[in-house]
Amino acid sequence: MGKERVLIANRGEIALRIIQACKDLGLDYVVLYTKEDEFSLHVRNAQQEENGFKKAYRVANYKDPNEVFSVADEAECTAIHPGYGFFSENYGFARRAAMRNRPLTFIGPKWEVIRDLGSKINTKRLAKDLNVPVIPGSDGSIYNELEAEEVAEELFFLQKEQGIQHPSILVKASAGGGGMGIEEVSHLDAFRRTYRRIQNYAKRQFGDEGVLIEQCLRDYQHLEVQLLCSSYGEVVHFGTRNCTIQSAGRQKRVEVAPGFDPAVCEYPFDARAVLDRIVKYSVRLAKHAGYDNIGTWEWIVSRDGSPYLMEVNTRIQVENEISACISRLNGSNEPPNLIRDQIRVALGDRLGFTQKDISFEGTSIEMRIVAEDTKRGFAPWCGTITRFDYPDEPWARLYSHVPRDTPYKIPTEYDPNFALAIIWGQDTEQAKERARQFQNGTIIEGKGASGESIITNLEYLYDRIDDVLQF
Amino acid sequence: MRTDKVHMADSGKLLSQLADRISYLIDIKGNSEWSNVGDLLGRVQGLRQSLFEIKEADLFEEIDRIEDRVSFLEDRVAEKLGPAEIVNIVRSPQRFTLMDILENVYDSYTELGGEGDCNIDPAIVVARATISRRVKNKLYSHQVMVIGHEKGRGEEYRNGGCARPWGNDKALRYMRVAETEGIPIHFYIFTPGSYPIEDYPGAAQQIARNLYVMAKLKVPMVSFISEGGSGGAEAIGVSGLRLMGSRSYYSVISPEGAAAIEGKIREGEKVPRELVKHCAAQLKITAEDNLKLGTVDRIIEEPPLGARRDDFPFFHRLRYEMLRATDEVVLKTKNFRAFRAYALKRREEEGKEVPEDFDLFIGWSLTDLEIERLLEFRLKKYMELGKGYFLENRNILTEGIRKTKIFASKTYYDLRYGLLRPHHRNVQKVIEEVSSEGSVFLRKVTEPVRAAYDFVFPQPERPGKIVRSEGPERKSIFAEEWESYVSPLANEDCTVTCPNASKYGCLDLWVPDLYGEFCGVCPNCGHHFPLEYQWYLENLFDKNSVHEFNDHIASCNPLGFQGYNVRLKKDIKRTGRNSSMITFDAEVWGLRLVVAMLFSNFRGGTVGTAEGEKFVRACDVAGTTRRPLLAYIHSTGGIRIHEGTLGVVQMPKCTLAVREYNDNGGLYIVVYDNNSYAGPVASFLGCSLYQFGMRSSRIGFAGPRVIRETTGQDVPPDYHSAKNALRRGHIQGIWDRREFKKNLHDALMTLGGPNLYYK
Repeated sequence: MGKERVLIANRGEIALRIIQACKDLGLDYVVLYTKEDEFSLHVRNAQQEENGFKKAYRVANYKDPNEVFSVADEAECTAIHPGYGFFSENYGFARRAAMRNRPLTFIGPKWEVIRDLGSKINTKRLAKDLNVPVIPGSDGSIYNELEAEEVAEELFFLQKEQGIQHPSILVKASAGGGGMGIEEVSHLDAFRRTYRRIQNYAKRQFGDEGVLIEQCLRDYQHLEVQLLCSSYGEVVHFGTRNCTIQSAGRQKRVEVAPGFDPAVCEYPFDARAVLDRIVKYSVRLAKHAGYDNIGTWEWIVSRDGSPYLMEVNTRIQVENEISACISRLNGSNEPPNLIRDQIRVALGDRLGFTQKDISFEGTSIEMRIVAEDTKRGFAPWCGTITRFDYPDEPWARLYSHVPRDTPYKIPTEYDPNFALAIIWGQDTEQAKERARQFQNGTIIEGKGASGESIITNLEYLYDRIDDVLQF
Repeated sequence: MRTDKVHMADSGKLLSQLADRISYLIDIKGNSEWSNVGDLLGRVQGLRQSLFEIKEADLFEEIDRIEDRVSFLEDRVAEKLGPAEIVNIVRSPQRFTLMDILENVYDSYTELGGEGDCNIDPAIVVARATISRRVKNKLYSHQVMVIGHEKGRGEEYRNGGCARPWGNDKALRYMRVAETEGIPIHFYIFTPGSYPIEDYPGAAQQIARNLYVMAKLKVPMVSFISEGGSGGAEAIGVSGLRLMGSRSYYSVISPEGAAAIEGKIREGEKVPRELVKHCAAQLKITAEDNLKLGTVDRIIEEPPLGARRDDFPFFHRLRYEMLRATDEVVLKTKNFRAFRAYALKRREEEGKEVPEDFDLFIGWSLTDLEIERLLEFRLKKYMELGKGYFLENRNILTEGIRKTKIFASKTYYDLRYGLLRPHHRNVQKVIEEVSSEGSVFLRKVTEPVRAAYDFVFPQPERPGKIVRSEGPERKSIFAEEWESYVSPLANEDCTVTCPNASKYGCLDLWVPDLYGEFCGVCPNCGHHFPLEYQWYLENLFDKNSVHEFNDHIASCNPLGFQGYNVRLKKDIKRTGRNSSMITFDAEVWGLRLVVAMLFSNFRGGTVGTAEGEKFVRACDVAGTTRRPLLAYIHSTGGIRIHEGTLGVVQMPKCTLAVREYNDNGGLYIVVYDNNSYAGPVASFLGCSLYQFGMRSSRIGFAGPRVIRETTGQDVPPDYHSAKNALRRGHIQGIWDRREFKKNLHDALMTLGGPNLYYK
């Protein structure tokens, strides 16, 4: 077999990071772009590096699998990297890549794994079988109103018994995701109406009227465990992350690794033990499910220190780099590159190291710089970025598809996320300090359609740095 | 002699009579070239023109010559009267119509709901009429309701006897009137077929509704067929005795229609006359053939060339036969043997000269008990139709086992659900009442104590578990879904374009996804791609719960239709099945039901005797076991034309079976998928109280081509779509294939009569 050629079916900073990873591994790559992304950095870089074959293909839509596969055939690709979003958790896409007449290596878990763990219900069921704690509630889609009411009543009762002041439950569309189709019910009498509304919404939106009912947890921290597995059954973890700081639409804004830092903050529970537990549980689940690529286990930790498994993200995540930043392989100074490892593992490599070879050092903070109005419900801002500059420091990295040298118009079709800043410090205090320093040095200027100046969330991020890791 | 006649007769009148006779011959032969009848007609016309220029003697001589010639030709035609000629006789404008019958057979009549074209549908005529008989010089008269088609004398508004849906609805209304008044109904069928439009109440639906009501109409009914065109004939055709004129035809389809299908004639092309003739012979449409097949009960002799408007002896005979037939239907329900003997004796007299007098007067009103017996006889008579025209591997041993099984299961289910269940229910009711009385009493005593207790030891109240009414619990669909049957269509690496792509912007679908997970449904717009029937067998019902029965009943070629054997064998080999209907027991989430499935691969899902018999038996099984009955129509093209009227009578036969099942408190659900047209929809499917269509199904009476050819109007492409069927009120809802199982389960749980085993 000749040189592998990877089709990068994504945009923005992740496309850039995948390009870099491919180059590091000595693989060929091809990128896709749409009309709106014409001036994005990933396209420009790819076009500049063309040597012997075309590296950038324009498509009408990132979301049309037919087009993606026809580009893959045209460009003679052998593998496909979905990045995050788009096709990354679409097992149908992964299966099609694997089962078509000209198969492509899907850089991600096996499609069966994506299917099994992509379903929240199945994950929950599996977790229960393995004695991994999950949020109290139904462990399957409910289609029957009587059954739903029974579950709701039970949940209210349990909360009352625990002495929770204002008990409430969440009604979710089981086929939904990303915060869509979720409503809170704080009184049993209001349940039926909400249930019917969600059921109808789910039917309309996702074609499946199944509904999940869960206890609504109020005061909690959102933690994640980063795992890397190979198809040889190897499983290692890169520690935990804390992603509690989120925008109004439950979009993450600031992430920190590790998940808790008892040296700096006080917790009403044994933080180290909780982290150990969630890592242990995550590894157990991954081994059982035959997980074979990179993945993230999302957890909720309540004030009393009990963790609940929320879901599994069967893909590379935006914030993967902070976990890498605090990890050291065999005592080397250079942190590992998870995207590189992901591609390597998907192409059939062994990990080449074990958990014993991984040590952790320092704290890493990621900030997502977004053009949005944090004071007005995080409404995205549109316009052109005229100047974008940031300090070059050895302890900071910034990933962005926005060019530093030319003005860039933010496309309205996609996520307004335009840069990720990753800071590393010897300890949490230093990391926070450096994060503030980095922000002070970052300059973003831009103009909207009617000449008004750019609105970003820099100030908001600055304010929230103090809150990280605090319960 | 001749000179007397010459002087008395009006030569003009003679000539016009001759002209009529010649044009009748032309009608029968279908062309004017035969034996130069065209020239003969020309000669007569010429004589009429120059009536006053020719000498009288010469004129009469010429008339005589022509008359001899005409008589000779008439004899020759009568000698070799083929089916095609009979069709022409029936269609001739000189043939008698319902109005002639009303005038001549009945003593007096009052047309109801019509006066010429001032009528909701002039193709259907309804009249309250009096028919009388003489018994020993005393006149007795009977009131009857006459319902029939009126072809008219070429008036356009009569529509050639093609009843529109609302015409059939009108017929139904007056049938109910007759039922209220307790008078017999005489049906006269003079229709080439029903007018195939879907406007409310809908051609197919109305016929089905009529059949459904007629199945249990509490009055004696007798029908006379002159032109029995398939579905249109059935709409007013269920009766205790079916009579047919000897020069009439009764057929599943017009010979031209059959020829167009057989010869695969494209629209707009002319159908070769030879092929039409061939098909007319193959379809077995004559009175003799129908009598042989058992689809009619008796033939009424007509003159050799068929009865015309002024055949008074024929009308005389018809009056006698209608009286006799009604007597017979009535007598069958009577208790006394003597009456039956009389009826039998009357039967022997068949074919003799029409007597002037009746021996007896027989009243036509029935007591409740007799009505019950009337309905029983009707059911029995129709269940026998078509028996012996399908193949059934009869083996004394297996047949015996089958019969024992049926008997044993009938006893078991009767005991369990018929006897013990109501008893159990009554006991439960008493217990419920007593216990609720008791609890009210007890509460009065315990209330103060409990209040004090609660005050001292407050406790959050634990919700009582809701005990759901009995019935199996539904499991989640997820676990099964991932290891289900996948259509062989999915084994191809290619994409298909959704037909609605330009409208809704659907992306091309990858075939393994489409026919796998998506259940053949476009996830964007919900378009349903057709799937093979096996998919439903595997996915709709619980694993390993499908048990086919009566698979030994096989279709055959009862009419000896030429060239059909080969095609039938090919289909049997290709599909591995004996008929286009599969009947089986199955379970949906633990709920047992009986399913009758029509699938498209076998002769286009058409219905013949074997299919009808299987359906009726499925009804029986569902009835004895108290299970719901599902008719899943993967596709049906109508009644199988190769089985002629044997196929047509499956319409009333199956409808009667359904009516019987429904009236016994069952639940009959029909689900249409893909294309469902014609006969079955206009009978045992359309009569269902609960009909559902798959999202992309097409439901109707006739396809767009037939509508265009018969009505001359073009229909829009979505004319038969499920949405339009719902809009017109034909179906009760539209189902999505992805939710078929769930919808079906919900329907089974919520709908239906009180006699289902799980209720």
